[in-house]
Amino acid sequence: MSLAGITSYIKNSYLYRVAKSGSNKVQQAFYDCIPNTSIGSEKWQKRIKWVGSEISSPENRLILGVTALMSQPFIDGHNKNVDAETRRVSVCRTIAKIIAGTSTGVLIRYGCIGAINKWSKLPSSVDKLGQKVKLNKLNTFFSPGNAGHDLSEAVKQYRKTLGTILSLFVMSITNFVIDAPLTRYLTNKFIDKSGGVKHDTSK
Amino acid sequence: MTLLNNMAEITSKKFMGLKNYLYKHYGEEPGKMLVHTGVLSWTLSAAAQVMAVAFNDKISKKEKLFLIPQECADAAINILSFYLVTNAFTNFGVKLVKMGKLTTPKIDKYLKDNKIADIGKITTDISKNMEGEVLDEFKSLKSGISMITNTIGSIASCNILTPILRNEYAARKQKEILSKNNLSNKPNEIPINPNSKPLNMEAYQKLAYSKFSNSGMKV
Repeated sequence: MSLAGITSYIKNSYLYRVAKSGSNKVQQAFYDCIPNTSIGSEKWQKRIKWVGSEISSPENRLILGVTALMSQPFIDGHNKNVDAETRRVSVCRTIAKIIAGTSTGVLIRYGCIGAINKWSKLPSSVDKLGQKVKLNKLNTFFSPGNAGHDLSEAVKQYRKTLGTILSLFVMSITNFVIDAPLTRYLTNKFIDKSGGVKHDTSK
Repeated sequence: MTLLNNMAEITSKKFMGLKNYLYKHYGEEPGKMLVHTGVLSWTLSAAAQVMAVAFNDKISKKEKLFLIPQECADAAINILSFYLVTNAFTNFGVKLVKMGKLTTPKIDKYLKDNKIADIGKITTDISKNMEGEVLDEFKSLKSGISMITNTIGSIASCNILTPILRNEYAARKQKEILSKNNLSNKPNEIPINPNSKPLNMEAYQKLAYSKFSNSGMKV
């Protein structure tokens, strides 16, 4: 039996239909509790549109980093599974890890998205002066074949997606080369600032 | 130079299918893109952790047999909690817009003028027959809301749920490792009681630097 056949068999089975119907009923009951809302304020409509269009993975990573600084040290500082001295070191390590990870994460994402922007030009692309960009093999290397206008929202999101994926592979290397030593360095700095430890942790 | 240009052209064409797929699937849903790249990010990060343990000469074979499955389990916690929570939040936001629960006055007018039935039903997609300006407005609203709910979900999973789960799991596993290590301790070494609570500094340091980094290092 092919994969499609198996999927079809499962979807037509009595058990699946009962589970699906139950799950839909629960979901519907949940959504029924939410009142219908219309966003009347033009200011808010513009803000939401701006978020959808401009915020992407680098900004998302920055938001996660900033909020992580507000929550994770607190969680580690209240971890009752370890003693007070360990908690202090653990908090220092967490702060160092967040700073190192966020700064490299944001910068590399921005860099890779910028590179993809440069190398995914379309026939409708124009430069800063409004002149048509001369296409070549390099600046169309990442151009999709089914793209619409250069300034369309879909093309913008595509570039951000590909830039983000590229940045993840770059960061698999920088995670070792930059993040780990920077985390270790910052951890030791923070431990020293907070009064040091009985044993050396810089090994 | 010609050879390089030809190679670039061939490579570019080889990946055309992938590029078209990314354009089609993520072009209008930035929230979905962040969920999927987030999972990829956690996966690559976890793979780096496992490799770091696997190729670390300072860790014995016996310890590796224990540490590698531990890293994999840790990765599963990170990836699953990220995916389940963030995806649920993102889908929630998108669904509200799709079913017509969250709209703008322009979309409201369209729904009334076209007498769209079943607003608020989970199977409804109000954008089915939309076109022109109202469709653009719908897409903008959907992108914005999916981005906002995705960010809230990411914060909840990465910064609250995962650290709590990881701390619990790490403390339990570290004690297990110490308990195993104690069995092979030399007589002059300070024994660490695995059942003593909480974990002390000596025990923490013994383990903290036996690995490349702790497993929360998301790329």
